[in-house]
Amino acid sequence: MPYKRKKYHQGDTHLKKRWRVRNRKKDLDEIDEDLKEENAEKLLNQEIDLDRPGAAQHYCLHCARYFIDNHSLLEHFKTKVHKRRLKALELEPYSIEESERAAGFGNFKVPNKRKIVTQNSENTDITERDSEVLEVIPNKKKKVKENAT
Amino acid sequence: MRIETCYFCSSRIYPGHGIQFVRNDCKIFRFCRSKCHAAFKKKKNPRKTKWTKAYRKTAGKELAIDPSFEFEKRRHVPVKYNRELWTKTIEAMKKVEEIRQRRSNNYIMQRLRKGREVEWQRDVREVQRDISLIRSPAAGLKQKQAQDDAEMEVEPETIEVVDAKGRKQVIEAPVMVPATGEMIEDGGDVEL
Repeated sequence: MPYKRKKYHQGDTHLKKRWRVRNRKKDLDEIDEDLKEENAEKLLNQEIDLDRPGAAQHYCLHCARYFIDNHSLLEHFKTKVHKRRLKALELEPYSIEESERAAGFGNFKVPNKRKIVTQNSENTDITERDSEVLEVIPNKKKKVKENAT
Repeated sequence: MRIETCYFCSSRIYPGHGIQFVRNDCKIFRFCRSKCHAAFKKKKNPRKTKWTKAYRKTAGKELAIDPSFEFEKRRHVPVKYNRELWTKTIEAMKKVEEIRQRRSNNYIMQRLRKGREVEWQRDVREVQRDISLIRSPAAGLKQKQAQDDAEMEVEPETIEVVDAKGRKQVIEAPVMVPATGEMIEDGGDVEL
């Protein structure tokens, strides 16, 4: 019996690594749960955790991602990845209950379409910080000058 | 022992079959075969995958809303054992299943019937448009002409026409019947 000569799955590891369990990201239905107000509040005001990027202070709810600072978070809101995620969340995500309803246990419900908006980022904060930065810089210069003199 | 449903394709999973995945929030995802498991790992959307029940119901291919679906359902309400209730339920289950089957089959047939109607209309339109391929539009014209000629023989074959210069001419009547009538009239108009 001729054996299979061609190896069809050689060099697939980098693809398969993506769907290893340890690399799992949050699913859409988990994120949907996060979007509820009480959960969202908790996630947006997390305690300082030094193991997370940016000490877990800049979190995007929809993409379930931490950012290192507010600037990169705001930049992230403008990206395709984020907008695509908003679009994907518009329809109610598929769940185990829905799979049962599809199997004929109870009437099947057509998923609702909702309006999903990016979490209100603290735009005001960043402008305030800008002013802080602007204030800080001349001080530094002064100090330098003082040192020079 | 319980017959579970597949998370991805909503088919039945009999004991000893399939695989299950427990997510870190304790939700159990059951899969009937590796095909469904692999699709889940690749984050495919069951609503958009054509071979799943979820697709067929969202797309309106199958009966989705019907009171007959309300019998078999997870209710989370404990029921005390009662022999009479049990025997009656078993009898009812068979009847409900039969009704459900009939209704869903009927739904599909109704859906297909609509397609047949559209097909029929399309056929009619095609015949009307392309009839010239089978029957030439010129077919039967010669016969008609011959008939008209026979009628024309009764009338005089020549007509007197006055030229633009005032000369009189005798012309044989043209063959085309409707046209000749017009021509005669035209000739009359031209008279100066």
